[in-house]
Amino acid sequence: MTGYWVSVVGEDWRWRMFPTRGDYGAVPLNAAARKIADSWDPAKDASAGEACKAFAAPVVMRIPGRLHVTWPDDQTLKIDTDAGQQTRLFHFGNPPPQTQTEDWQGVSRAEWDLGNAGAGGLFFGGGGQAGAPSGSLKVVTTRMRPGYVTRNGVPFSGNATLTEYYDLVKEKSGTQYLVLTSMLDDSTYMSQPMWTATHFKKQVDASRFNPVACGK
Amino acid sequence: MNRGHLAFGMFLAACAAVGGQGLTPGQPAALGPTISGTDFSGSWRPNQLVTESQTAAGDLADFGGIPLNDAARLYALSWPASRQTVKQHQCMGYVTPYFWYAPGNYRIWEERDPFTQRLTAWRFYGQIAQGDRTVYMDGRPHPPAYAPHTFSGFSTGEYQGNTLTVTTTHLKRGWIKANGIPQSDAATVVEHFIRHGDMITILSVIDDPVYLSEPLSKASMVVRMAKDPDAWLYPCDDSEQIFGRKNDVVPNHLFGQNPYAREFADRRKIPLLAALGGAETMYPELGNALRDATAAENTAKARMVPSGPPAVSRASDPTPTDGEIHTMRVSGDVYLLAGDGANIAVQVGPQGAFVVDTGAGKLSDKVIAAIGRISARPIQFIVNTNFRPDHTGGNAQLQAAGADPSLTGTFFSMQFQGAGRGATIISQLNTQTRMTELKLPAPPSDTFVEDRRRKYHNGEAVEVFPQPNATTDGDSVVHFRRADVIVAGDVFSTTQYPNIDTQRGGSVQGTIQALNFILDRTVYIHDEDGGTLIIPGHGRVTDEWEVAEYRDMLVIVRDRVQSLIQSGATLQQVLAARPSADYDVRYGATKGPWTTAMFVEAVYTSLKTPPKAGTR
Repeated sequence: MTGYWVSVVGEDWRWRMFPTRGDYGAVPLNAAARKIADSWDPAKDASAGEACKAFAAPVVMRIPGRLHVTWPDDQTLKIDTDAGQQTRLFHFGNPPPQTQTEDWQGVSRAEWDLGNAGAGGLFFGGGGQAGAPSGSLKVVTTRMRPGYVTRNGVPFSGNATLTEYYDLVKEKSGTQYLVLTSMLDDSTYMSQPMWTATHFKKQVDASRFNPVACGK
Repeated sequence: MNRGHLAFGMFLAACAAVGGQGLTPGQPAALGPTISGTDFSGSWRPNQLVTESQTAAGDLADFGGIPLNDAARLYALSWPASRQTVKQHQCMGYVTPYFWYAPGNYRIWEERDPFTQRLTAWRFYGQIAQGDRTVYMDGRPHPPAYAPHTFSGFSTGEYQGNTLTVTTTHLKRGWIKANGIPQSDAATVVEHFIRHGDMITILSVIDDPVYLSEPLSKASMVVRMAKDPDAWLYPCDDSEQIFGRKNDVVPNHLFGQNPYAREFADRRKIPLLAALGGAETMYPELGNALRDATAAENTAKARMVPSGPPAVSRASDPTPTDGEIHTMRVSGDVYLLAGDGANIAVQVGPQGAFVVDTGAGKLSDKVIAAIGRISARPIQFIVNTNFRPDHTGGNAQLQAAGADPSLTGTFFSMQFQGAGRGATIISQLNTQTRMTELKLPAPPSDTFVEDRRRKYHNGEAVEVFPQPNATTDGDSVVHFRRADVIVAGDVFSTTQYPNIDTQRGGSVQGTIQALNFILDRTVYIHDEDGGTLIIPGHGRVTDEWEVAEYRDMLVIVRDRVQSLIQSGATLQQVLAARPSADYDVRYGATKGPWTTAMFVEAVYTSLKTPPKAGTR
């Protein structure tokens, strides 16, 4: 996963590229969320120093932009986004100390979800050659500072849980894609969990990684 | 299972059987993977959250996020929703990945070898349009390029860890979005299936050299249903929708005259340049192209009409060029022989081979040998669908290799020395005349003028229909009625624009009429797939869908040229306007024996000076 990635905006193009107030697509927002979203005012957010509400974990990966993925240590995977200059830290093993204050990206626990990994199952399996274990990166994020799930002001609450699966696929052409399947569970503002699929294409270098602060 | 489904299943099986032709004789197919990956079995529905926001159709002129090229954009802007009132468009099937955006139910199941229990295939069934896909996991090759295409295509799969990767070829022209954005029949689609609990994420990558400037990748999702929804069918029969409309009317917008081209952009307050799509609209840097609003608007307007030099076809010609004759059973007792110029059709049976066209004559020995492998009897009849040497070049050798025992011992044999020795060659009278004029060898001896020529041969009704003033003044199409195969000659090609020879009685209107004649005789099995099969003069075997597409193309180009003529345009001005710009990437050529410019000139000439009806 390490390296640079660019979002390919093939899904939900209109909402991701040109968010406008009142156009929520298929987001399962409830009446309370709609009331808040209908009064969305990005200028007000900016003046309150909260422009990064629209770059919180549930939405930042949907914003057209580029990612830089690194391992700062062997227990942490780090994603830097150029859109909004956000940093997400995925912690393997022990969770980070509870003293961490809430921020837009919350606290993320990561694990490898190997599933059956083509190994024929745990018991009685594997009549033939077993492939190299492979699976998904599963990330569960909580304790997020309330922000938006879309760029046009649909809110999420402090009770929200974001579950993400990251999968790598490779084309015969050599092109590599990072596929992100995510589920936001927020009974405060959603009538049902919100599933989305997003994907990124591997970049050869950092040449187009262009960090821009929230609201700029 | 009703008979229609049984027949459709047989059609799909026939297409699949063609895929096995690449195996070495005697070599068993692979058994399938020894280890299976993720289990995708079950009943599924689209993720409502995704389908509502990326509906299959989309708004008119909502092309953002799609790397369509200039030709595809023009194609889509020319498409009005009323195109769907045309008979062949009413029950159009769904190609993948559009298949996964439909609002209906899906069933996924596996097929296993009963003896080894290895996974041999995944099956995908979609309720909408009753798409029925088989993903072979046994390592078989894809069919040859000249095999029929279907809306389901031909799919093979393999596991990459937990991900099932499916590669699909042999797709028909379908939709990327049903607002006019085409996916060509040259596209290859790779789908990656990733399951997380009750959700499957499908990343589809469309590589379409005809209509996309770079591969289009797009993710969609389906959700598992705990219970079978018991809703799986999608009946569709086409019907009359516009009373009194002639069959050479195909609704279309002239270039630059789509009244709805700005509707989506204006309503959604999106810059027109972004709404019109293109590779740059997929990436974060889109904003850079929009920064200067005036320049962006001007660029957008320029993209709504043809510009730049003429394009050439980006679809590969499926005709084999390895110096061998390739034989494929099409249906019933009718075979395709490909590899020597124009396509050759052969019907076999106890009376003797019935051959339609004889190819270029460069590989006639191999053609005769190939016929000998499928027919125990000699060639009795040959039909020439037109005079051109790539259709008649093998006449002399194939005639000499055959015999017409129906003439031996008749009064003909008393009148004509050698009657019955050699096959009898049949054609419309003008084909004989043209061949004689051009001193082409072995012209037909048995001719007809205006009415169909019919025979009951090898237990099958065979009809030969003259098509006046189509690509020449002597075209014919042949219908093998039991096999339900129509041999179209040069009125239909999957590789190039129709070679309309206005010097020899050809016309655009006559070619359109000939295509409509074929369409009046075809019946599909389900949703524009299967049923009557068509052997074109050049290119791959099709069913009616591709004929309808070709007819549409010809009507639309005719309408554009006619409009230019009515506005007083000269031939040079018509050529400069590039009235076939959206189709050149599929059929066009700038060099060779039949170029786009020659085709447009033929359309122009035959509209300015229509040929006189009848024979010479």
